[in-house]
Amino acid sequence: MGETVKLFVNSQEVEVAAGKNLIDALAVAGIQIPHFCYHPALGADGNCRMCLVEIEEGRPPVVPACKTPAMEGMKVVLDSAMIKKVQQDMLEFELINHPVDCPVCDQAGECDLQDYYMAYSLEESRMDVPQVNKKKKLDFGCGVVHDQERCVLCGRCVRFTRQITETGELGIVNRTDAARVDIFPGKPLDNRYALNIVDLCPVGAMTSSDFRFKQRAWFLTRDKGVCHGCAKGCNMYIDHHREKYGDDIIYRYRARTNLQVNGYFICDEGRMSYHLQNNDRQTETIVGGASVSFDDGIKAVVEKLNQAKKPLMIVSPNSTVGQMWAVLRIATLYGGDVSGYSDGYIIEGSGDDYLIHEDKSANRRGLELLAIKQDRAHLLETLGNADLVLNFDNDFHFSAHDIEVAKLLSEKDYVAICSHRLTAFETASVVIPIASYSEYDGVIINHDDVIQRFSRAVHKNNPPKDIVEITRLLGGAITDWKRAWPGIRQTISLLREVEPDQIPEEGMKLMNSGEPDVTA
Amino acid sequence: MEVKILSAKFDIEDSHRLEVAKKHGAYGTLEKLFAMDPADVIEEVKNSGLRGRGGAGFPAGVKWGFLPKDLDKPIYLAVNSDESEPATFKDRYILVRDPHMMIEGIIICCYAIGSHDSYIYIRGEYTSQLKILQEAIDEAYEAGYLGEQVAGHDFRLDVTVHRGAGAYVCGEETALLESIEGKKGQPRSKPPFPAVVGLYDCPTIINNVQSIASLPFIIEKGAEAYRAYGTEKSAGTHLFGISGHVEKPGMYELPLGLPLMEVLNEVAGGVWKGRQLKGVIPGGSSTPVLTPEEAHTVTLDYESMAEHKTMFGSGGIVVLDETVDIVKLVENLIAFYHHESCGQCTPCREGLGWMLKIIRKFIAGDGREDDIELLLELCDNIEMKTVCVLSAACTMPVRSYLEKFRHEFESYINSSNSDPVQSQAE
Repeated sequence: MGETVKLFVNSQEVEVAAGKNLIDALAVAGIQIPHFCYHPALGADGNCRMCLVEIEEGRPPVVPACKTPAMEGMKVVLDSAMIKKVQQDMLEFELINHPVDCPVCDQAGECDLQDYYMAYSLEESRMDVPQVNKKKKLDFGCGVVHDQERCVLCGRCVRFTRQITETGELGIVNRTDAARVDIFPGKPLDNRYALNIVDLCPVGAMTSSDFRFKQRAWFLTRDKGVCHGCAKGCNMYIDHHREKYGDDIIYRYRARTNLQVNGYFICDEGRMSYHLQNNDRQTETIVGGASVSFDDGIKAVVEKLNQAKKPLMIVSPNSTVGQMWAVLRIATLYGGDVSGYSDGYIIEGSGDDYLIHEDKSANRRGLELLAIKQDRAHLLETLGNADLVLNFDNDFHFSAHDIEVAKLLSEKDYVAICSHRLTAFETASVVIPIASYSEYDGVIINHDDVIQRFSRAVHKNNPPKDIVEITRLLGGAITDWKRAWPGIRQTISLLREVEPDQIPEEGMKLMNSGEPDVTA
Repeated sequence: MEVKILSAKFDIEDSHRLEVAKKHGAYGTLEKLFAMDPADVIEEVKNSGLRGRGGAGFPAGVKWGFLPKDLDKPIYLAVNSDESEPATFKDRYILVRDPHMMIEGIIICCYAIGSHDSYIYIRGEYTSQLKILQEAIDEAYEAGYLGEQVAGHDFRLDVTVHRGAGAYVCGEETALLESIEGKKGQPRSKPPFPAVVGLYDCPTIINNVQSIASLPFIIEKGAEAYRAYGTEKSAGTHLFGISGHVEKPGMYELPLGLPLMEVLNEVAGGVWKGRQLKGVIPGGSSTPVLTPEEAHTVTLDYESMAEHKTMFGSGGIVVLDETVDIVKLVENLIAFYHHESCGQCTPCREGLGWMLKIIRKFIAGDGREDDIELLLELCDNIEMKTVCVLSAACTMPVRSYLEKFRHEFESYINSSNSDPVQSQAE
């Protein structure tokens, strides 16, 4: 952990990283200091006073931990009667004008105020005078709804719009207990990251109009995921739940910290992309326009493959390295060509200089490293030669404007193996439904050459199969991408040292990567 | 008892005009000043024992010594003329009656600390005072006392007046800096202290108007001459604003260390209308109240005030006669500090409003015995837990009233809805 300092916490010696404040330094050692306003992405503000700690022989003796660097020999006291009283007192002050409407508050179950009250207070209310009334249900724009009465004025949201998005839509107006977070009249939130405010808010003051009242926090299963919305590969939590008699569906994505990839935040577009995991999904197997069983659908495709002289396999830049590899293998088996044409995924001008990439695919680096051709000329040539086209979830909807490709495709015997309806062209003779990225596991490589592994989060009642399994049903030999990894590693020299089980949670930066370096 | 050092020109007609002020010695110290080494100026001020006249009483020369050495950044001087403490009206006399004394003091201070840009932060309500001050600054520029070459010496000094918008908290030195920077006036967390990271992140010295105005005398006559007034630890003279129930309220310059009651009786004419004394607020509304007994033993200096568990404060003395309703006084006091809380940190933002509602319960006849205990506890819960001392400026005096005049709160409980003072008078 670099340079360290030794200090005492409640008379116990602890060794922590130097140069951090007490909240961060001690958190690593498993010691929690309650706080509202401090956030590592936004720095210390010192306004909530919840993190006050006692420093023995310190001047002054009570200091905010967020503003106090961990220092050699420091004697921090967290368990004295005085500090316990201070924590109770601060919670009492936060709560006297708080509506305590937890039963109808979305934050309940993941609310710092609620959790701290349970952990540090449990005192009865002594407030017998009228509360300060403020405004509720304010539409701040971008799907952010504000409740001024629940707000603890920690200012995280305000600092986020000033320091991170630099758009400054929010401010705290008024003084004293009339202080409240507000927007300028007629100037709502207007940035592509606004919903991070909902994550940042330690209480139920900032809620998402998309998530409000949909699900109680304690029912949600929180799995770790990697966003497939663009080439950045931001880390997020997939919060999902299976209602009784219902199916496993996703209720929201939340930002997950990964300092190597996305820092503390994700963009709103990526956050809202969970809807596409629930909706517009291809669930039916179709042959010749008629709904059939999945097995019959696979049988039909195998028949076509056996008769085809020159099949073309189209892979998606969103597929995992293992899926791409599996498609390559069955293309070899059937003597077919492979194209990764996906120009349509790149939407020029849609990116920014922060997290949003203009390439809306998650694993284009995977295509490149596997030397799968992506150019249009190659697609047109192979498409012209092909007598059967198998599209493995490449969303041609992105390229719908490409009339020439669409026309050529419509003349071919076309099999759509797809997770979403969008890719199932009406001209497809066979449509096979497959899993989307929240329903399988694998590795992808982002635009900055960080390889990340993600796991399956959602377990549907009728789990769709992922591309690797489909290729196996079509006669391929690969049963599991991890078993195929030695082959993949042989092929991509950059991955030679990469062991899937050893990819750390924050991903692994691939070094010396340049042009395609296929050796096999 | 009265002395005329700071107030020497106060009674001269048009003393705010440069022409008149010069006739009476204004800017007379500059030749001597520029012949001195800046370090010697600081030493002289240290030796004079001058303490910050804003209320805290921190030794001025020592404060200057906190500036980091050899830093490649400009140093600023901010003159705190936000004079907002209730019962305090000393700085306005200087601003209006001898602004050139303050400007001369600014030159002395800036020369000593190596600053070339000074800001005078004046409270928004001082409209006529602002006009006079700005005219004086303009005159000083015109006469060459400010600008590229101060009094012909190779020393640039610019003075800018920044007008506040009427917030008490902007008298707190870091809120004052935030306000000058164009931000919402909210105190900063310390450390870092302004002497290290101040205005625009540069080292900054913040001094009160009266502190600055005391400098010309110290430089002209020397530290010893200044120490001739006052006590060992409270050197010099102070402008005392005496108000409330006295026969002759007003602004008086006195050496520090005089017995309070002597001053009240001999200078201010004693408690008015032949009434009895109920208490004395010694130095602005934020200082704990003194009972008549305490008032008879205290002297007007920092040490004696501390011994009496109060503070010297700003020199704004308020005399309370027997008719004063302490509960209503406390309501007024809390209402002020509640209104002026910047709302930044939790205990002050939420706590003062709660205290105000509780005291209003007493006035409405709904007060209970345990409300007194709750108020006392809230004082403890808020005090020293906040970013700045605004909350303490409320809780310290409130605690003193609750402890020293508890019976008045209790009589509100016992005779609900009746005014105890009223019934006493009848």
